[in-house]
Amino acid sequence: MNTPIYYQRGEYIETDTGNKVSRRAAISGPQNIILGGKTIISSNAIIRGDLRRTGPGHAVVISLGRYCLVGEGCIMRPPYKTYRGVFNYYPMKIGDNVHIGANSIVEAATIGNYVEIGKNCIIGKFVIIKDCAKIADDTIIPPNTVVPALTLFAGNPGQIVEDLPETMQEMVEAQTKQYYTRFQPYPN
Amino acid sequence: MSASIEYYCPCLAASPHPPPPHLASSSYSFHPLHNLYFCEECDAVRCNRCVLVEVSGYFCPNCLFEVPSASVRAEKNRCARNCFNCPICRNTLSVVASDPEGNEGRMSPIVSNTLGEPPFFLFCNNCRWDSAEIGITFEKPTGLAAQLQKFEDSAPDALEFEHLKEHFEPYLRASSSALPTTTAHSHHHVNPITAAASSALARDVPGVGKYNPLTRSRVGRDKNAGKQEIPDYNSRVEIGTLGALGAGGGDSDVEFMRRLEDMAEVAALEQRWVNSWTASLRSSDLKPLRIPLQVKKSKRCPACRHILIKPEQKSQSTRYKIKLVAANYLPAIHVSLPHAIAAMELMKRSPSLNKSLSSVVDDPSVTGLMPGKTYAFHLAFTNPLYDPIQVRLKKVQPKPMVNTDEDHDKPRRVPFQVSLPTAAIGIAAFAEAWEYEDDEEDMFGLEEDDLDMDAHGGTGKDGRGKTRTVGVIERRANTTVISGEVILTKEARGNVRFNMLVSYTYRSDDPEPPEENEDGTPSRSHAAPKAPEMKNFSFYTVVDLGPVVRREESRSEYDA
Repeated sequence: MNTPIYYQRGEYIETDTGNKVSRRAAISGPQNIILGGKTIISSNAIIRGDLRRTGPGHAVVISLGRYCLVGEGCIMRPPYKTYRGVFNYYPMKIGDNVHIGANSIVEAATIGNYVEIGKNCIIGKFVIIKDCAKIADDTIIPPNTVVPALTLFAGNPGQIVEDLPETMQEMVEAQTKQYYTRFQPYPN
Repeated sequence: MSASIEYYCPCLAASPHPPPPHLASSSYSFHPLHNLYFCEECDAVRCNRCVLVEVSGYFCPNCLFEVPSASVRAEKNRCARNCFNCPICRNTLSVVASDPEGNEGRMSPIVSNTLGEPPFFLFCNNCRWDSAEIGITFEKPTGLAAQLQKFEDSAPDALEFEHLKEHFEPYLRASSSALPTTTAHSHHHVNPITAAASSALARDVPGVGKYNPLTRSRVGRDKNAGKQEIPDYNSRVEIGTLGALGAGGGDSDVEFMRRLEDMAEVAALEQRWVNSWTASLRSSDLKPLRIPLQVKKSKRCPACRHILIKPEQKSQSTRYKIKLVAANYLPAIHVSLPHAIAAMELMKRSPSLNKSLSSVVDDPSVTGLMPGKTYAFHLAFTNPLYDPIQVRLKKVQPKPMVNTDEDHDKPRRVPFQVSLPTAAIGIAAFAEAWEYEDDEEDMFGLEEDDLDMDAHGGTGKDGRGKTRTVGVIERRANTTVISGEVILTKEARGNVRFNMLVSYTYRSDDPEPPEENEDGTPSRSHAAPKAPEMKNFSFYTVVDLGPVVRREESRSEYDA
C-alpha cells in the first residue's frame, strides 16, 4: 500500500512546487507548458509544448494540474485543425489528479479532474473528458468524442461501459496523492 | 497486488452470515468498499444490487444537454440535437460540409462545421462511414435530429407501434380511472419522473392480464369478460409483405447473399440489434442512430426508503447533495502480503535500476503462495470516523456454526489455516490535519495502553517461537496495521479466500456523530456529558490472498 516507488536521484528533476520531471523525457517548448505542482513526468514521455498557436505573444500549449502523472512513453500533443482555411494548434488543458498510463497518446482538448487513463490508450484530437471519468487500458477514443463524468470508457472505438461509483473522486484523489508520496528517490 | 478484500452486503441471503467464499456464487454478495452505501436509519450496508434506483435527470452523453423530462418521451429517449452514433461502429458522428476546396478534403477528419456549403452530411471519424453513402444529406447543419426523427417516425415499425398504442389507449384510460392504482401507496415520496415511469409499467392492461404462471388459467377466465370489449387488432402491415418493405427475410435475402462480395456488406447482429423489427441484412440499409440519453440516478435504501445518493442537478457535476457511502462509516481494510512485496523489491533492485521503476510488477509466480508454507499477511485498517474505534476480528469457518471457539474445531478439508489477532485493536480517529502530516508520530494523543501487544496473544501459544507474527505491527495516524498468518497445507490449491467478521466499537455521543441512529433521545441526552456510549457494528468481509502456485513452475520463475 505504502511501498515506495524508487527512482534514482539523478534521473528526476524536482521543481520548487514539487513537480518531478524525468531527465529522459522529451519536453519541447517548456515555456509553453504549465505544471500545477506535485506532477510527475516519467521517463521517455514526449510533451510537445512547441506546437503552439500561431500568432504573437505568449501561449500556453499544455497545462497540467496538481498530482498528475504522465506515464512512461506517453505522448502529449496539442490538437490541431484547419478552421476557416487556417491550420492551427489548440491548447490542451488537463485538470488535477489525472493519471495517464504508460505508452498512451493524448491529443485531447480538455481533461477534467480525477481522470484515470489506462495504458496504451489513444485519446484523439479535441476529445473532451469530464471529471472522474476513467478510460480502460488499450482504449481508442476517436477525435471529437465527449466522455461524460463518472463513466468508464473502453474498446475501439471507446464506448460507455458502465457508470463509476459515486466515491470515484475520493478514490482517485487518495490514489494520486499516495502515488506522489510513494514516488521517491532511492535512499543511499 | 493479488491480495484483495471485499465487503459483504447481506441483501441476497436470508441469513446474516455470508456464503462460503469458495463458492463461485458468493462473489455476487461481496463488493469493494467503494461501491457500497450505508443507511444511517437502518444502520446497515447497502449495495448497488439492493438499493432502489430513481432517475433524477436525463442528459445526452455527447452534447451533455440536460433534457427536460417532459420532452424525453416525445424524443424517444434519444438526443434531439445534433448527436448521432455511427451505425457501423457506434462512434459519434460529426457534421461535415461538402468542402468548397474540392473532393479531396471531403474525407478529411479535420472538419469545421461552420464553414462550407450544402449538402451537409454525417461522417464517422473512426470507420469513415458517411451518410452520403446511404443518401442522407442535409440542407443546413442544424436541427438534424428533427429531420431524421421524421424518417424514424414514418418507418413502418414505428407506425405499427403507434397504431397499437392508439388501439389500446381508450382501454388504458378507462381502466386507469376505474382501477385504484395499486402501487400508489408506495410512491408517496418518489419523484414524479420515476412515478410516471413505474406507474406506466405497472399499469394493468385489461384483457392482457399480468403474467402470473400460477394463476394464469384462472386469470384468463376472469378476464375473459374484459377481453370481449377490445375489438381484434388489425395490423397496418401484413406480416407476409414485410419483405417487400425492405425489412428482410425471404428470397430477397437469398439473392443478396448470393451476390455478396464483401463481408462488410452484411450488417452484423450487433448493428441490427437496435431495431424493433427484423431489419434488412444489408449494412447499406443501416441508418445513423440518435444517441440514447443517459440518466443521473438517485438511490434509496430498500428498507426505509431514505435517500442514500442524490446527485446535483447539473449533468456533469460530480458532487452530491446526499451521499451516504460505506467508505465514510466502515474502516477501510487493505490487504498485503509482505513476502510478495519483498520479492518485488528484490526483482526491481536486481536488474539495472533504470528499468521501468514506476510500473509495479504483478507476477503471480512471485506474489503467489506456495503449498505447505506459512505466510504472514498484513491488514491495514483505516478509520474514517472522527472518533477512535476498537476493532475485533474473527475468522469465519466455511461451515455455518456459532462463532465461539472455532480455533479448536478445525474442519478437516480446509486447505489452509488462518490465525488472526483476537484482542481488540484500537484505531485512532481520523483528523483532517493528518492529510498534511508527513512525520507519523502519535502527536494526537494516542493512548499508550492501546499499544500493548496482547493482541497477538490469542494464537501466540502455538506459534513455535515466532511470537510476533500475529498482532499489531504498526500504528500511524488513523491507520493500524495488523499481521495475521496463513498456514497452507501440502495439497492447497486455488485461491486462498476466507471470510472474516469485523466488529468495531465506536462512540456514538459526539456533538455531530456520523452515526447517531437507533439512539433513543433520552439515552443520548444523559450519555452526552460523561460516559461515552459505545456502539457496535459488525460486517463480514472476504479476504483473498491470491492464488496458490505450483511449486515447480514458481521455482523456475524464481531462478530466471
